[in-house]
Amino acid sequence: MTGDQVMSREKLLVVDDLHKSFGSLEVIKGVSFDMDFKERLVLMGPSGSGKSTLVRCINWIEPPSAGRITFDGKVVEPGKCDLRRLREDIGMVFQQFNVFPHLTALQNVALGPIVVKKTSRKVAEAEAMELLVKVGLSQRADHKPGQMSGGEQQRVAIARALAMHPKLMLFDEPTSSIDVELIHEVLDVMVRLADEGMAMIVVTHEMGFAKEVADRVIFMDQGLIIETGTPSEVFEHPQQERTQSFLSKVLLA
Amino acid sequence: MIKWSIIFDNLPFLLAGAWTTLTLTVVSMILATVAGLLVGLMNMFGGKVIGAITRVYIEVIRGTPALLLILIVYYALPTIGLNLPRFPAAVVSLAVCYAAYIAEVFRAAVESIPKGQSEAAFSLGMNRAQALRHVILPQTFRRVLPPLANEFAALIKDTSLVSVIAMQDLLFNAKIIGASTANVLSPLIGAAMIYLIMTTPVMQWSRNLEKKVE
Repeated sequence: MTGDQVMSREKLLVVDDLHKSFGSLEVIKGVSFDMDFKERLVLMGPSGSGKSTLVRCINWIEPPSAGRITFDGKVVEPGKCDLRRLREDIGMVFQQFNVFPHLTALQNVALGPIVVKKTSRKVAEAEAMELLVKVGLSQRADHKPGQMSGGEQQRVAIARALAMHPKLMLFDEPTSSIDVELIHEVLDVMVRLADEGMAMIVVTHEMGFAKEVADRVIFMDQGLIIETGTPSEVFEHPQQERTQSFLSKVLLA
Repeated sequence: MIKWSIIFDNLPFLLAGAWTTLTLTVVSMILATVAGLLVGLMNMFGGKVIGAITRVYIEVIRGTPALLLILIVYYALPTIGLNLPRFPAAVVSLAVCYAAYIAEVFRAAVESIPKGQSEAAFSLGMNRAQALRHVILPQTFRRVLPPLANEFAALIKDTSLVSVIAMQDLLFNAKIIGASTANVLSPLIGAAMIYLIMTTPVMQWSRNLEKKVE
């Protein structure tokens, strides 16, 4: 066993020289970072910096063009691992919620365990109900997404991801499509999740959330990580000019 | 001139033809829908070779008259030893023809589901078949009903093509009445009215479904 493999087993996630191109457009130009178990990362950067694509590459919803991802000691790549199995351990929350519109909130949350883990409907729905209580939506269990606000739909989506008992949660701009006055509902759930020790990577511009929750902030621009540090390091003493100019815009907004 | 008495006196004969038209439509439609779903899924998810084969099938059918297919199945297949009686021959040709159109209906419906839906399913650990069965198809069924009802109405009319192989459908019986009474127009008008009675509710149903889906 090489030293490299031993090291990656102590980390929850290792991303090594990741590249991603769409046609001739390279949106991620060689990104490396790693992450401990229970660590909370916030990914920031201007639009087009590649942060969403990076998060989508981690569970191969977007296959990377080059580089290596190691999750929980296993290399993430079709042929080298069971990609489907691996995705059970990585929950994902999308900017557009992507809740299933033909199912009720309860059915949305219970579907993953029923279909993928072959959990019995009764057990899955009982657990789904617990998760809906946790995200504050028990009274909406029988509603379909069409009857819910964006904040409620996103909380259903979080409960749906949690139902698979993931080791890592990916949040891809979870509050960007939600009315301003409802954003806190979603952030509150995420903060509580972080307090429970859930490892997470969050793409967001919510600096308040980052300060409260993040162990580290990674700042990306033009497909590269240009700065990384604790929230106070990055927000109060940004080293890079591009970080400074971005932060001043976010603070003004 | 239209002589209503001719339509009225021969109504049982016309209705017998209409019954043939209806059974032909229903049986063909059921087969075409099942086959169309399979062809559509094979076309989208069957991989390169199966995808290409089904694409050729769909384009050939869409680019040639249904009448041609009926003539081939009933008159040409027997020359290579495949002898089908009239009704099965009619059903097979219409189903083979409409399966191609319905495959395209299913493809359009599946493609209209936002990509985020399958991404969400995959992110939970579902494989492609599971995502299709539990997430994508249940959403397409609602969208697919209005265009399917439209195809049903079109099929009611297209079954008239089988009079060419002397199946006693509504149009064929109307022509017989026309020949025997020396009044061509009246039974054809009668047939037109019966076709309308069959197609109008179906098209109205399709419009209602469309509104519901929106």
